[in-house]
Amino acid sequence: MSPVLAMRLVSYRYAGADSPALAELDFEVNGGELIAVTGPVGAGSSTLLMVAGGYAPRLIGGELGGERLLAAERPAIVFATPWTQITGLCRSVFAEVAFGPASLGWPEPLVRSAARDALAWMGITHLAERDPAQLSGGEMQRVVVASALAMGPDLLLLDDPAAELDPLAANSLYELLGRLAGRGAAIMVATPDLDRARRVATRALRLETGRVVADGPAAQVLG
Amino acid sequence: MVRLGVAINLVIGQLAAALLLPLFLDAVGTILVASLVGWRAALVTGLTAQVLAAVLSGNFAWLPFAVVQVVIALYASLAARAGALRSYWTAVPAGLLLGFIAGSTAAPIAYYVFGGATAGGVTVVTTALRALGLPLQASVYISSLSTDLLDKTISFALVCMVLRTLPRHLAARFPALAR
Amino acid sequence: MIGYENDTSVLHGAHPYTPLALAGAVFCLVFAARSPEHVGALLAVAVLLAVLAGALGQALRAALAIALPTIVLLLVLHGLLGPAPYSFVGPFLISDSGFERAVVLGGRITTVLVATVAVLRSVSPARLVDAMTDRGVPFSVTYLLVSTLTLVPRMRQRAAGILEAQQCRGLRLGGSPFARLAALRPLTLPLILGALMEVDEQVLALDSRGVGRSPRRTALDPPADTEFEWLLRWMCLVVVVAAWTARAREWLL
Repeated sequence: MSPVLAMRLVSYRYAGADSPALAELDFEVNGGELIAVTGPVGAGSSTLLMVAGGYAPRLIGGELGGERLLAAERPAIVFATPWTQITGLCRSVFAEVAFGPASLGWPEPLVRSAARDALAWMGITHLAERDPAQLSGGEMQRVVVASALAMGPDLLLLDDPAAELDPLAANSLYELLGRLAGRGAAIMVATPDLDRARRVATRALRLETGRVVADGPAAQVLG
Repeated sequence: MVRLGVAINLVIGQLAAALLLPLFLDAVGTILVASLVGWRAALVTGLTAQVLAAVLSGNFAWLPFAVVQVVIALYASLAARAGALRSYWTAVPAGLLLGFIAGSTAAPIAYYVFGGATAGGVTVVTTALRALGLPLQASVYISSLSTDLLDKTISFALVCMVLRTLPRHLAARFPALAR
Repeated sequence: MIGYENDTSVLHGAHPYTPLALAGAVFCLVFAARSPEHVGALLAVAVLLAVLAGALGQALRAALAIALPTIVLLLVLHGLLGPAPYSFVGPFLISDSGFERAVVLGGRITTVLVATVAVLRSVSPARLVDAMTDRGVPFSVTYLLVSTLTLVPRMRQRAAGILEAQQCRGLRLGGSPFARLAALRPLTLPLILGALMEVDEQVLALDSRGVGRSPRRTALDPPADTEFEWLLRWMCLVVVVAAWTARAREWLL
């Protein structure tokens, strides 16, 4: 099976920056893997996710070096700040979660069932009729993750997704990610939460100043 | 970026109001977008902000002033291209000129659409001048102008300040700045 | 949109384009109307719209609060300070033409205000988005108009937060005009820079949700439209064009 993502000596420099944010990245991501991306602040974990998903430099400018082979047809990315990821167009959580499938032009019954399933996976079916703008940070973040899941992504990228969540919700989220990877999705999670990552991740990448310094089984890399 | 410019147009006046300054600052977003992105984006910003301002104020009577936003967008783009927003020495006179142009554009609208009775302070000045014997058109023009001169000068100075304070990595994201 | 209230009025149940078309027609026609009688007729239409939207009370309150002071000002500007000939109205000497002009202008503003209230109360943003999506309106347009309205309250909150924070750091809101002008910097700069830094994340999030990937978005609940409403909207356009053509001819001839 060919990898969902292959990086061959990839480097990335933000527009106007003196030095590259990422350098000599060389790894592959396959379906069914849950990769934890860790490193100190400023190591480049968030940038790596944006490059991995094909969002940089396409949407935010900058220069990409090396070769990036992105085979994923439906990448999705989730950031730590939920309020910037709510569309602002939807008056109900259900419509918000259905937004992605609707954007893809799926038939209406499929859009609805995908949204229902995603709400159920995230345990937020009870929020379906609420106004997304009125939710707490934790609830909003779960809606954002559900919105990404509703599109059935083949490469799911999450940047510190549990930052706004309470411990119970954070546990649920990581368990869910583990189950999704078990079903074949390729998942990369940038996280400072090594404990939770260790429980579900199959593999881990450790970054330092934009370079991968360790790449191997999660138990080994995360300690 | 356009969405942000529109939001700035609609919100920043609130800060001026808190400082009890007689400013609307309802074109700061348009001018910012003009200098960071370009004239087309600035045009959309100005027009959208005017429509939304009318919606938010609950009175569509403000829609005709969209013409003024068009003028501001085009002028600001030209001024930004010419480098007027790079230093306060050029931004302030450029803002003053825009105030003159914007005020001159707004005055006939205020006259024909509202007969001079638009927004509180402006109308008070208009009434006072009229009571002093000036013809209505002239009163509307003078009061419209006086507000706009100060408002647009401060707006240009504000945008100049933002551009000078912009961190380099943010500045690099906007192609229009490099030109 | 600000002012929308869930209800079961006639306009609430109509296709969202219909109240917009009706109010839009009233808006365009009232600026073509020149006599108090015509403006009065259009005001009656606007009031009817407000009734159909279940917003009569709200419209009357808005008219009192906003239009009435403007009308009074207009009466002063044009009535009291207008040109000859004059007539006595009670103790006041009012210019005849000025009075008529004030009535027309005041009537216009009131009409627009009442029609605005009717529309804002009866058009649900969510239904409007669905209607626009269903009709193939480019997503960027829908997004810009509707999503910005959600952004505004959040930015207002942030502005209020910055105001408080700076005051805690010693910023004074009063003082000389120059001091107050100088205070603009620590208030506006964080607001604008903070918002600029979020632009990327919003662009990324939308792209990640498939925006632009398919030529046609699926409308989840496209509002029903009837032939009658469709016809009504087209009639609005025809009437507006006819009215403005007549007005243009008056100007030219």
